[in-house]
Amino acid sequence: MSEMVLETEKLDKFFKLGGREVRALSDVNLQVKRGEFVSIMGPSGSGKTTLLNMLGCLDKPTHGKVILDGEDVTKVPEKKLYEIRRHKIGFIFQSFNLLPYLSAIENVELPMEGTKKSKDERRKRANELLKMVGLSERGEHRPHRLSAGEQQRVAIARALANNPAIVLADEPTGNLDKKTGYEIVRLLGRLTVDQGATVMMVTHDSQMASETERMLFLSDGKLLAKEKEGILVEKKTKCPYCGRKLAEDSEYCPRCGKKL
Amino acid sequence: MVIIALGFSMAIMISIPSGIVANQQAVERLSEDYSNVLAETEEQIAKATTLIECSLSPGFRPGVRTGSAWGLGPSLSGGEQFLNESAIDEISSIQGVEAVIPFLEKTEGTTRTLQTPRGTFDILVPDYTIVGVPLNSSLIDSYIVLPNDVIEGRNLQEGDSGVVLLSLNNTGYFGAGVGDEVNISGSYFTVIGVYESSDSLQLRKLYMNIYDAQEITNNEGNISRLDIYAEDQSYVDEIVSEISNLYPELYITTYEDRLSQLERTTQIYQSTLQNAETALSQMQTTAFQEVCIAVVATSSIVLVMMLYAVRERTKEIGILKAIGFSNWNVMSQFMLEGVLMSLMAGAVGVVIGSVGAPILSSLLLPSVSLFPTQRTIPGGTVNPGIQIQSVTATLDPQTMLLAFGAAILLGALGSLYPAWRASRTSPMEALKYE
Repeated sequence: MSEMVLETEKLDKFFKLGGREVRALSDVNLQVKRGEFVSIMGPSGSGKTTLLNMLGCLDKPTHGKVILDGEDVTKVPEKKLYEIRRHKIGFIFQSFNLLPYLSAIENVELPMEGTKKSKDERRKRANELLKMVGLSERGEHRPHRLSAGEQQRVAIARALANNPAIVLADEPTGNLDKKTGYEIVRLLGRLTVDQGATVMMVTHDSQMASETERMLFLSDGKLLAKEKEGILVEKKTKCPYCGRKLAEDSEYCPRCGKKL
Repeated sequence: MVIIALGFSMAIMISIPSGIVANQQAVERLSEDYSNVLAETEEQIAKATTLIECSLSPGFRPGVRTGSAWGLGPSLSGGEQFLNESAIDEISSIQGVEAVIPFLEKTEGTTRTLQTPRGTFDILVPDYTIVGVPLNSSLIDSYIVLPNDVIEGRNLQEGDSGVVLLSLNNTGYFGAGVGDEVNISGSYFTVIGVYESSDSLQLRKLYMNIYDAQEITNNEGNISRLDIYAEDQSYVDEIVSEISNLYPELYITTYEDRLSQLERTTQIYQSTLQNAETALSQMQTTAFQEVCIAVVATSSIVLVMMLYAVRERTKEIGILKAIGFSNWNVMSQFMLEGVLMSLMAGAVGVVIGSVGAPILSSLLLPSVSLFPTQRTIPGGTVNPGIQIQSVTATLDPQTMLLAFGAAILLGALGSLYPAWRASRTSPMEALKYE
């Protein structure tokens, strides 16, 4: 399995606006490794969401490639893109976007509908995920009965339902207070360590971004050359036996199971 | 509200075919009844080739003769006329006469005054008709004098007096049965038997000894009509001629008259049926148009509702597509919702339809006349002698099943475009929607 889970090559996106061509993204080249927690920072209008839409197969670039898990998704026909979104991408939104008429557990099960998983398997997996985000007791509650932080946790569990190659989070702390925001970012960080998930988070909050492993900067649609390491790097160690990244308080390696 | 509106539309859709079926069945029943009556009448007429009927009132009906008038229709107009019974002997002495059977008929009821633009008329609303018959075994055994379908007790016989044979309809009026005493025109009679008749003219007739009838109606020595049997058909013309000379006031009906009357009645029945069938075909055309309107209305309601739902749930569509729902998944979800909505409406429609089908179908469909268009023909009054049954549309399980089938189809049809539109929504655009 390739270490690189996401790559873009010379990614451009132009929009026509009132007869004028607006360059939303220009020559974006980035790489994200498996298990990495990357944040993309930039001011409003810098092209963060546009980039996330390209990476999440919600929009097509004007030029360039998006290679996700070894496959150039820009060449995948429109009708097949849902399969990429279903199996390889998990979305987390700023406003949580849970379906209000479904319970927390049903929201988590939703992406698994249409997969080969049986109803029991879906329910089992949803329970595991809710437990993972600390909401095992709240599964039957509807979103309106959950706090904002809890709703975002449900959204994280939903994003992980099909064990995607990458989780794309668009301002996941934007609708949360500072304390809850930190909890959510740290939870995402923990998932990259414990579950080996790869997360790319878009934010304009530098403090939240600093909680990740690597910070990228976007300005006027261009990815800046400078990169910064976040706090998470310091917290991560590698398993001496298999090279798997580990949380600093890990007692066992989650991949090889050996005692550290 | 939407479900109720849809349900109402569905109810219209299912009530109309029910109304059509009910009318079709009514016309079929009528046709069958006409055929039966005509066949029976023809048979009766054929049996009585030597019968000459005489009465003081014009009138003829081709119904089944059960010991009563061929002639006198229901005595709706007062002023019954009577003939002295001395005519019996006089007519009996005419050459070729085999038997003379006298009858005395008197209708009892309430007189009501009816004011019309043409003047004021007294109308007798009949309660019952007394039929006095000669209880002579040589007559009642050989000729048609008494009803032959006695269902309780026994028929009248020679020597009976102070007893009465009631029709089934009379038992309801008097509230009495076999063995009970009933007050007829102020005198008490014991009910000896009850007969049943499908003939509407027979419904109110009660039979008794002619002497009893003469006494209670203050008509001693009077009769109201005569049935004369010729020894042979060849004597009929001669007898008729003699009677006409002796009693020019009498209306005489022979086998030939009855045959031609039957022919005219058959024509009237046929024309009635033809009119009913034409009306039915017009009804079917109207029904088809109305069903088409209901179908379009139902589909339109589903279409508008589902378009509204798609618009309201744009963001949800974006979320579903972002988390991996295919176009088909989204489309089928909206189609399913449309069908479910229509099914609920179908259920509401069946409930409304099962209660309101008769009203809805009568309001929406032109009526089919099941009565003869021409009630009066030269020579007498025609009464088909048929009980007209009311036309009531009812929902049968098959129609209900059809309603649910239509609900599924219309739900699918109405939600097809909105569901397709939902499936084509760009997830990126949909997620921006607030």
